[in-house]
Amino acid sequence: MLVRYAERMAWATLGRNVRDFLYGAAYGRYQHELRRQAVELTDLFMLLCYLELMGVPNPAAYYLLEVYPLLFDEFHLWHRRLGIERSPLGSLPCC
Amino acid sequence: MRQLLSRQVLFFGGKGGVGKTTCAAALALAASRSGRRVLLVSTDPAHSTSDIFQMPFDGTEREILPSLFGIEIDAADEARRYVDDVRARAQALFAGRTAARALEQLEVAAAMPGMEEAALFDRVSRLVAEQADRFDLTVFDTAPTGHTLQLLRTPQAMMAWLHALAHSRRAMLPDDRQGTDQIAAALEDRIARLDAFRGRLTSRAITGFVLVVVPERLPIDETARAADRLAEAGIDVGAVVVNRVLPVEASGEFVEARRRQERVHLLEIERRFAPYIMVRVPQQPTDVHGVASLEAIAAALVGGQLGYL
Repeated sequence: MLVRYAERMAWATLGRNVRDFLYGAAYGRYQHELRRQAVELTDLFMLLCYLELMGVPNPAAYYLLEVYPLLFDEFHLWHRRLGIERSPLGSLPCC
Repeated sequence: MRQLLSRQVLFFGGKGGVGKTTCAAALALAASRSGRRVLLVSTDPAHSTSDIFQMPFDGTEREILPSLFGIEIDAADEARRYVDDVRARAQALFAGRTAARALEQLEVAAAMPGMEEAALFDRVSRLVAEQADRFDLTVFDTAPTGHTLQLLRTPQAMMAWLHALAHSRRAMLPDDRQGTDQIAAALEDRIARLDAFRGRLTSRAITGFVLVVVPERLPIDETARAADRLAEAGIDVGAVVVNRVLPVEASGEFVEARRRQERVHLLEIERRFAPYIMVRVPQQPTDVHGVASLEAIAAALVGGQLGYL
């Protein structure tokens, strides 16, 4: 019973390793580029959301209000990524 | 103007002081007398609807007469309610310190300029989108022209932004989060609702804009510009009401002098608003106050006996 369990685990581990190997072979080279693009897309989105706070009028600002709480964590990551240690403008309390 | 009574949404607009509120109230009264369920909405911060019907109104609808309901929208109230709602949802989302910080961030965002206008727009758009469920006709008595046009053109600018935002959000999401992302869903829900509002607003069968003007030089210019802007926004001008025209039976030297002056303006109005249905409402001997005095205006607007529309 115990032996059969160990055998199944070994197969599962092997399966996972093979999958990871194939994934790495296929995407590894592009991972850096893909991540960079993802970051750029995120930055664009955050910028569109928070333009109003930087003094650029945003006609959709009212409806973004309900989105801000959902973006709270991402906002923090974003301003850190922009190289701003503390929350920008001082008016946005997140750190 | 009787043909306008078959629409579902009518906006009344014009320069300040030309009698928008009176005309809107009179038309709402006429429609309700013909057996239709009517909601009269005042978005004018001056709130003179209460004056005309001699009863107070607020943000929830109140029965004025059988099948005639009234509501006065207060933009500051609307904004507060919306922010409270978002705050409650934020509180449910976070715990402890994070909640406090998220709420503070919300507070900053809620203090942005233009919040009240946006809240007013949001309420108007919801009333237009949902009115068919509860009323046959909704009549909006709007604030003076510039303000109202801005209000009705808001969706175009807002849509462009929301589309850009939703698109950008979708682009950054990995495949496995496409279906569950609350932010993309919230944005797309707004787009769908704005689409529905704009669809109703620009449908000739559903919505009409009634421009009220008086035979004087300045209101004519402003109203003509408003008609152009409305056409650009794709909103149908259902009729032009020429209010406070000197009654035929009035006489005397002074009145005759005024009438000569008025004739010039009336000709100008005929020329500038030729493509539209035009109705003249004679100046009343007394202030319009109370239901009885509205009836004379209503009769002038839709013609004939009110009970037999």
